[in-house]
Amino acid sequence: MTTNPSLQMRWRRVLACLAGAVLAFDALAAVPATDAVELGRKIFHDDSLSASGRMSCATCHDPAHAHAPANDLAVQLGGAALDVPGFRAVPSLRYLNVDTPFVFQKDGTPSGGFDRDGRAQDLLEQAQRPFLAAHEMANADAGEVVARLRNAVYADEFRAQFGANVFDDSDLAFLAARFALSEFETKAVEFHPFDAKFDGFLAGKQTLSPQELRGFALFNRPDKGNCAACHSSTRQANGAPPVFTDYTYDSLGVPRNAQIAATADAEYFDLGLCGPDRVDLAARKDLCGAFKVPTLRNVATRHAFFHNGYFHTLKDALRFYVQRDTQPQQFYTVGANGAVDTFDDLPPALRGNVNMDEVPYDRHSGQAPRLSDAEIDDVIAFLNTLTDGYDPLTDTADPARSLAATQNSPVEK
Amino acid sequence: MRQFINSGAVALALLAAAGPAQADEAALKAEVEQLRAEVAALKDAVHEMQTQRSAVAAVPVAAVAPSATVTAVPVAGTAPAPAQASAGGEREATTLWGYGELNYNHPSAHAADAQADLRRAVLGFSHSFDESTHVYGELEWEHAVTSADDQGESEVEQLYVEHALAPNYGVRAGLMLVPLGLLNEHHEPTSYYGVERNFVETAIIPSTWREGGVAGYGSTEGGLNWNVGIGTGPDLGKWDATADEGRASPLGSIHQELQLAKARDPSLWGALNWNGIPGLNVGGGVFTAKLGQGNTELPIDDTRLTLGEVHARWQSGPFDLSGLYTRGTISDTRAFNLTLLGQPTPVPKSFWGGYAQGAWRALEWDRSYLATFVRYEQFNTAASYEAQPQGLGAAAMPTQRVWTVGANYYLNPNVVFKIDYQDFRYDAAAFGYGARFDLGVGYQF
Repeated sequence: MTTNPSLQMRWRRVLACLAGAVLAFDALAAVPATDAVELGRKIFHDDSLSASGRMSCATCHDPAHAHAPANDLAVQLGGAALDVPGFRAVPSLRYLNVDTPFVFQKDGTPSGGFDRDGRAQDLLEQAQRPFLAAHEMANADAGEVVARLRNAVYADEFRAQFGANVFDDSDLAFLAARFALSEFETKAVEFHPFDAKFDGFLAGKQTLSPQELRGFALFNRPDKGNCAACHSSTRQANGAPPVFTDYTYDSLGVPRNAQIAATADAEYFDLGLCGPDRVDLAARKDLCGAFKVPTLRNVATRHAFFHNGYFHTLKDALRFYVQRDTQPQQFYTVGANGAVDTFDDLPPALRGNVNMDEVPYDRHSGQAPRLSDAEIDDVIAFLNTLTDGYDPLTDTADPARSLAATQNSPVEK
Repeated sequence: MRQFINSGAVALALLAAAGPAQADEAALKAEVEQLRAEVAALKDAVHEMQTQRSAVAAVPVAAVAPSATVTAVPVAGTAPAPAQASAGGEREATTLWGYGELNYNHPSAHAADAQADLRRAVLGFSHSFDESTHVYGELEWEHAVTSADDQGESEVEQLYVEHALAPNYGVRAGLMLVPLGLLNEHHEPTSYYGVERNFVETAIIPSTWREGGVAGYGSTEGGLNWNVGIGTGPDLGKWDATADEGRASPLGSIHQELQLAKARDPSLWGALNWNGIPGLNVGGGVFTAKLGQGNTELPIDDTRLTLGEVHARWQSGPFDLSGLYTRGTISDTRAFNLTLLGQPTPVPKSFWGGYAQGAWRALEWDRSYLATFVRYEQFNTAASYEAQPQGLGAAAMPTQRVWTVGANYYLNPNVVFKIDYQDFRYDAAAFGYGARFDLGVGYQF
């Protein structure tokens, strides 16, 4: 049987809205009703909803760091004692408001979806796992989440919003909580402020430095970085500023990361679209190793790059892009016979899925990379213009600045 | 105006039908004088008939194809008679016509890209509300199949109301063909040489180019035809710097075809054609429009397109010679292109093209004939870009040069079989690969 992802998403949204509406109709007027966005904000920052009592959404998705981790760990620690390592680098939650459900395009290209493997069809679904995963907030089930929610300081506001009896049905209350989170992440301007230097440049209000302009050109040029082939840099069809992703998936052959505890097992492989977290495409071996193309907005503020957080600086990440095929020995282990064990984070049978056709991956060992070190620096200068919270007076950007700037109009109308 | 046009068409047809026997110049001049006299007599007769009709209350009269079709100077032979929509009397109010073409292209160095295509099928109609008011429309299907999963297109190519204010001038309103060049208004497959339309009048003048608006038209006794109009224009907000459509045809990638067209910035156009000597057409036109269309998201509000062209065509006996030159500019693109640095297709500052073509009706059998031709074209869709910071600007496109040799075989004046060979002096997928062999069949009725 086939299912339509967009219908699924709509159905879930309808269900969530109905839940909110029905429960709100039943609400007591003892506490003034707030709105779902504000409730979502409170839930997002509430440590008490985790088994440890010390972890909220904001712990990993730090608003001051563009809703991404503040530290440089490849994967974050969670669980009741905050000592259980995760499996993938935590992505930023910014600019997900324009993401779409996972689909295969007409030509078969996988596109859209939430999480690095696109398995969640919307933010409502995406918000479920962090509450329950053993390496994250580690609640046993929805009932445990709701039990903690019932004791939250904003529990009365939750009742006012979703109904006096909302906590009587754990599944419904969990759905309502995730609905509030989804509303917050979708509608709060701080998640998509579009206030980077590049936005000012597109609007004709800012000028880019010569180095930033050079980097922009190298980023776009099909014969150089060719970054824009996936990280689209032109305005969207509706005229909105670019989000620097085309929402597709790619297999890059990022080196195996020993910083992830799971890799101690030689049989463990994170294959993205075809598993192990995502299960519906397990038979699509041609998709193994492919992960979602992320937005590059705020990429210069990250401390762990790619799905497994192998690289910790932007320069190292860019060097990997352009030197992976020209100097592979930099990134992969070299055997006793001198052979380089390329794409070592994939089983040998699946290494043919790695993208080796497009620029800049079309070079071979010994050839000059598509970008020199100086050109990489230019591209990094450009990528820095994608950081939120730009201040023209100091020519600096800080995602935390966006939070303050959006306080007066925190919600998108 | 129409009777004058019809008379001219008859004269040209007679001239063309005279064939190679008129090689002697003196005889030709004498015949031209005779034809002029006959044309004058015909005009008087038509005028007299119209005067008689004016006394009668407005009743439907015989409709004719839109001026774009009627004024089309066929490659040879007479213009097709519009088919009657119903089997009524001789004064039908509604008329149907149409044309179509099927093409085969075979790039010699890329045989895998050989392609056969039902290029287009067009049905046209007109309806006369009264003697002076008509509506004309053309409905077109391209590439055989149109659906969400196919590449075909279904479109309204023309749809306008025409009202004659006097016998020799009037107004039109609706979706109209822009009166530039030799091909745009006369794009039926029987009206041009070669399987494909020439590159200059597809890449630079984006035939079939139409805009919605209001236009005035008319003609003088001396053979001067004019057309001025105001209407919609292209939208630079549609420019896609990541795709190659803008390199294949700058205006073709941003014209709106009156499909929910953004219409803040009107366009203006004007065209003059002189047909005072039978067989000769000399003309030119200008189109200008701002391209921003009120877009507040992109720095394109000051951009302006100006496109001009001049052309000439001389048909005498078995010979048919023509030439055209066109040049376009788009101003104030620097700021917009700065936001597209490094992308493969920035907006050009200038683009141009020109061609010279010679055809010779080599063989003739009753209503059939074979016309051979040769055409040389040069064009550049991005001859220059506005300056960018040093080292960051895009290089101008190379000028394309194309030789085309071939033949049109007219089974009758309304059915044509075509064959040609095209040699491209620049390898580009958007235009061709080195050389191409083409076959085609076309018709109109």
